[in-house]
Amino acid sequence: MSKPHYDREHHVKKATGIGDPQCFKGEAGPAKFKVGDKVRVKDLPDIFYNRTQVYTRGAPATVAELVYESPPAEDEAWDNCDNPEWFYSLIFKQTDLWPDYSDTFANDTLETELPERWLEPM
Amino acid sequence: MPSPVRQKVMQHLNIVGLLQPALHKETHAPYPDEVDNAHYRAYTRMSHDVGGEPDVPIQWEEKEEEVWEHNTFVTCEVLAWRGVWNAEERRRRQNVDVGQTQYLGLPYYGRWLLTAARILVDKQYVTISELSNKIDEVKKRYE
Repeated sequence: MSKPHYDREHHVKKATGIGDPQCFKGEAGPAKFKVGDKVRVKDLPDIFYNRTQVYTRGAPATVAELVYESPPAEDEAWDNCDNPEWFYSLIFKQTDLWPDYSDTFANDTLETELPERWLEPM
Repeated sequence: MPSPVRQKVMQHLNIVGLLQPALHKETHAPYPDEVDNAHYRAYTRMSHDVGGEPDVPIQWEEKEEEVWEHNTFVTCEVLAWRGVWNAEERRRRQNVDVGQTQYLGLPYYGRWLLTAARILVDKQYVTISELSNKIDEVKKRYE
């Protein structure tokens, strides 16, 4: 039986001495969003793996920071680094995420990072 | 008025709160028309995405890591240094591929250990025969 060949060195060759995600800098192209932009999280299909919390889907958020360029988790989880994307740190209002959230704490926020594919402009 | 997506998200979170490993309950493979879209989404939910699931408070206990836990961690890191997997593939296998029953039912490092064996089998660095022979051999030392 023939065995599949796995390239075990491609990542170390790219990241050694630079770091990850720094080694993907400049590979994602122009960012679609800038700090302060209002965005909404898309409800894309959940097939096998991603790290986009379902509780954020369809919720509005504000871009707090463009954090780095990196392959999205759903690609990297199968060792695919071909399509890095911008990652955004996003701020959600807790009252936008949880229907029963107390008005007493209406100013509470939640911050999390998502890759660009999950975001659409508002 | 919440958007349709938000309504679906909240419905989803309510359903997955009811899904738990069925240990003592009779289960059936359902006919296709017995699974609607909302339940399909609940069944295929990634087990690591626990945010928003209704649950009860659990007691926090400070615990020293055990030797086997340290050894497991080191083994998994060495697999990464050797390029067998990256951290994201490890997390996918430990937290999602194992399925909800094992995700909720096994200790944290139990999932790491099981997954370290799994990656070596999946990528054909060891065979199931070698692995099960070794487990059998080690087990006999304690009989």
